[in-house]
Amino acid sequence: MSEKKGLSSSVSRGFTRFGRNLAEIGTTFKEGDWTAKLSFVIMGFGQLVHKQFLRGVLFLGLEILFIYYMATFGAAYLVKLPTLGTVETYVDKSGIVPITVYGDNSFLILLYGILTIFVIAAFIFIWRMNVGQQRQIQKLKEAGRPLPTSIQDLKSLLNEHFAATLLAIPNLGIFVFVILPIIFMICIAFTNYDANHQSPTNLFWWVGFENFKNLFSMGTSGYGSTFFTVLAWTLVWAFFATFLNFFLGLGVAIMINKKGIKFKKLWRTILVVTIAVPQFVSLLYMYKLFANDGLVNTWLLNLGIIKSYIPFWSNAMYARVLIILINVWIGIPYMMLMTTGILMNIPEDLYESARIDGANAWQMFRSITLPYMFFVLGPYLLTSFTGNLNNFNVIYLLTQGNPTSMSLSGGAGYTDLLITWLYKLTVNDTNYRMAAVIGIMVFAVTAIISLVVYRLLPSVRDEEGFQ
Amino acid sequence: MNRISRREFLRGSAASLATLALTGAMTGVVSADEIEYGEGTITIWVADEVTEFTKTKAEEFLASNENYSGYTVSVESVGEGDAASNMITDVEAGADIYGFAQDQMARLVSAGALMELTGDYATFVAENNDSGAASAAMSGESTYAFPLTSDNGYFLYYDSTVITDPTTLEQILADCEAAGKGFYMEINSGWYQPAFFFGTGCTATYESDETGAFVGSDITYATDEGVVAFKKIIELAGSSAFYNGSSVGDATNAAAVVSGTWDSSAAKELFGDGYACAKLPTFTVDDTEYQMSGFGGFKLLGVKPQTEVGKAVVCMELAEYLTSAEVQLERYNEVGWGPSNIEAQADDAVQADEALSALAEQLAYTIPQGQYPDDFWTLSTSFGDDIIAGNYNDSSDEDLLAALTTFQETLQSYAG
Repeated sequence: MSEKKGLSSSVSRGFTRFGRNLAEIGTTFKEGDWTAKLSFVIMGFGQLVHKQFLRGVLFLGLEILFIYYMATFGAAYLVKLPTLGTVETYVDKSGIVPITVYGDNSFLILLYGILTIFVIAAFIFIWRMNVGQQRQIQKLKEAGRPLPTSIQDLKSLLNEHFAATLLAIPNLGIFVFVILPIIFMICIAFTNYDANHQSPTNLFWWVGFENFKNLFSMGTSGYGSTFFTVLAWTLVWAFFATFLNFFLGLGVAIMINKKGIKFKKLWRTILVVTIAVPQFVSLLYMYKLFANDGLVNTWLLNLGIIKSYIPFWSNAMYARVLIILINVWIGIPYMMLMTTGILMNIPEDLYESARIDGANAWQMFRSITLPYMFFVLGPYLLTSFTGNLNNFNVIYLLTQGNPTSMSLSGGAGYTDLLITWLYKLTVNDTNYRMAAVIGIMVFAVTAIISLVVYRLLPSVRDEEGFQ
Repeated sequence: MNRISRREFLRGSAASLATLALTGAMTGVVSADEIEYGEGTITIWVADEVTEFTKTKAEEFLASNENYSGYTVSVESVGEGDAASNMITDVEAGADIYGFAQDQMARLVSAGALMELTGDYATFVAENNDSGAASAAMSGESTYAFPLTSDNGYFLYYDSTVITDPTTLEQILADCEAAGKGFYMEINSGWYQPAFFFGTGCTATYESDETGAFVGSDITYATDEGVVAFKKIIELAGSSAFYNGSSVGDATNAAAVVSGTWDSSAAKELFGDGYACAKLPTFTVDDTEYQMSGFGGFKLLGVKPQTEVGKAVVCMELAEYLTSAEVQLERYNEVGWGPSNIEAQADDAVQADEALSALAEQLAYTIPQGQYPDDFWTLSTSFGDDIIAGNYNDSSDEDLLAALTTFQETLQSYAG
């Protein structure tokens, strides 16, 4: 309920702000002198007339740059954005050898079309800034105060506006390497960009929500049942991978930490050695170890315990259990190290007073150790849960998502997470349209879980619980 | 038997072909003064083992004709599988000439990653290669690549100290079980699976048009013959000697492996003195004996669609030269790749190769591998995984037929 309220109020706030902006632009035009009016078209004119050369040149330069960009590059892509191109590639076979004449490249049209929209948005922002400065000039003049000179502007970039100076390059980087690709990927989910529609040879075009319908349709050709199978396993996996590791790691740490245990350092070192081997190496040899002709099966056969090898990787249930167990083996040392530190930090007097009150070990664990652990490690557990939802390495290096089955579509297997399935769809099947839809789903699942769980965390609800 | 089948396999052997291959490659099929050759770099992607070889040959070729003096070659080692997927992902950034296994061809054609071979180039391919290789280079009526090898098929590697009789599957399994050794065959692969289905008389072929799109299919798995093959695969998967796999290098407990010529040195090392090769065995279901079949496969060399005539011609000429009789034979001597060129196949050294002989014998029972949609391979893997997981172990014949019907209908849905 409160979420909804927040949303609607922020929308209405947005409208009010937009209205206020329009009103101010109107007033500036109405009350401004002719230089201000001309500046609406020739940006920076007013500033130049009032000897603010740096500002004037910058605005004018940006306007020229914008017009140049649109005329030579952006406009052509922008007009094609609604169709993603209409000119087909063809092969000219009239000569000695067939020569390919490329038509529209839907991929580039989509990419540069989106870029151009952002450039236009940025230009409108800058134009608004320009108008705002006309208003500023006007007000300062009416008040009879001096206008900031170019030197003062430059100095302000190193003083009160230093933050803007520092952030300029990182912001540009985030835009080019994060925001633009994400928006591009989201757009792909609404096109038919797949193996049969690949640029530059073939065009692809907008198909609306068709891919989403396909993802949720339960028929034989749809992805519905596969999607929910994979999603369910993704959640189950993330749950076990996070909490099993946590409790077992904690258990090991408590055991080693216990008074009276000898060779504490030795035990810790033995466990930590697994960290010393790069994870992908240990995962790959684990895969070999449990292969049908691997060491484990061979030993069991030779010892006469089994008659025929155990299909660890080709049976869906065995494979899933084994993946979780191997992940425990990899994860416990990290968890142990982390919890050892925290265990040592729990004030000893808490336990002492509990002991005086006659609490037993289990009661102390439940009422002191565990709450303290959750309090400190809550945020870590949340990030590790979302990390496990997207734990590509463990799954892909162990099983590649196999075993597959005829009852799953899109080449998905029973140990596939959404993220590995997405990878297979892109790399093996060049099915970018469905991969993009799944990418959006991964985001939705991760976002919902993180937001909900974050609000429930003890460290967020009760910040001072253990201070 | 061996000699006859090979003769069939190498059918047509006009002596003129030799000269044709050479003149076609060296003098070119167009007169030089019509074209502006231009200049640039020709990128070639080939498998690691032939990178050096290809570089030497390509440089020799460019040096042999002054029209090509503006060009240099850059040979990069990119495996056949990677080459195909890289080309599909980004045609413009891909290599000008690249080697690939022929199962990728339809995908490459539909992604616009192959230049069509017309006129004399198409004739060169049709006349100089064995018929399987030549048809593998075609989609519809159009030729799209130069055959490079005819050795992309599979047969049996075995340890003659363990296997007493490599001619029947039942005996091989019995010997393996008795010795506690394994019989390796990758039955969850769409490439190896048809050994059974084609063996009992089923078919699975697709028809593709000149754009690489699939327009029709002929699949008869949902038949009594299909059930026979299916039952045998289930029986095989249930044997304690069975291991799903085809890579000799990864096999740790093998007495017999179904694989191809690329594994011959690994197999020699694994089996030592017991190293032997044979055609695939027969198998018996309900007292009827069937010969295992399979695919005869090929490696091809393709040229990326070009936008300039000069470079297009140089690339074509170079690709043709790299697949000519002379170079194929040299390549065989260098790295042991079995030639697709009929003249090179007739060479004594090629004829004496154990693995290639076994393959040639097996090829008589196989079908030349045409074009298959990518989904065919993916679904076949799922089908095989279901078998290995034991999902069909207690199924009745009706259930098996029902499963095959689903399989067949899904496979058919990939065309048209």
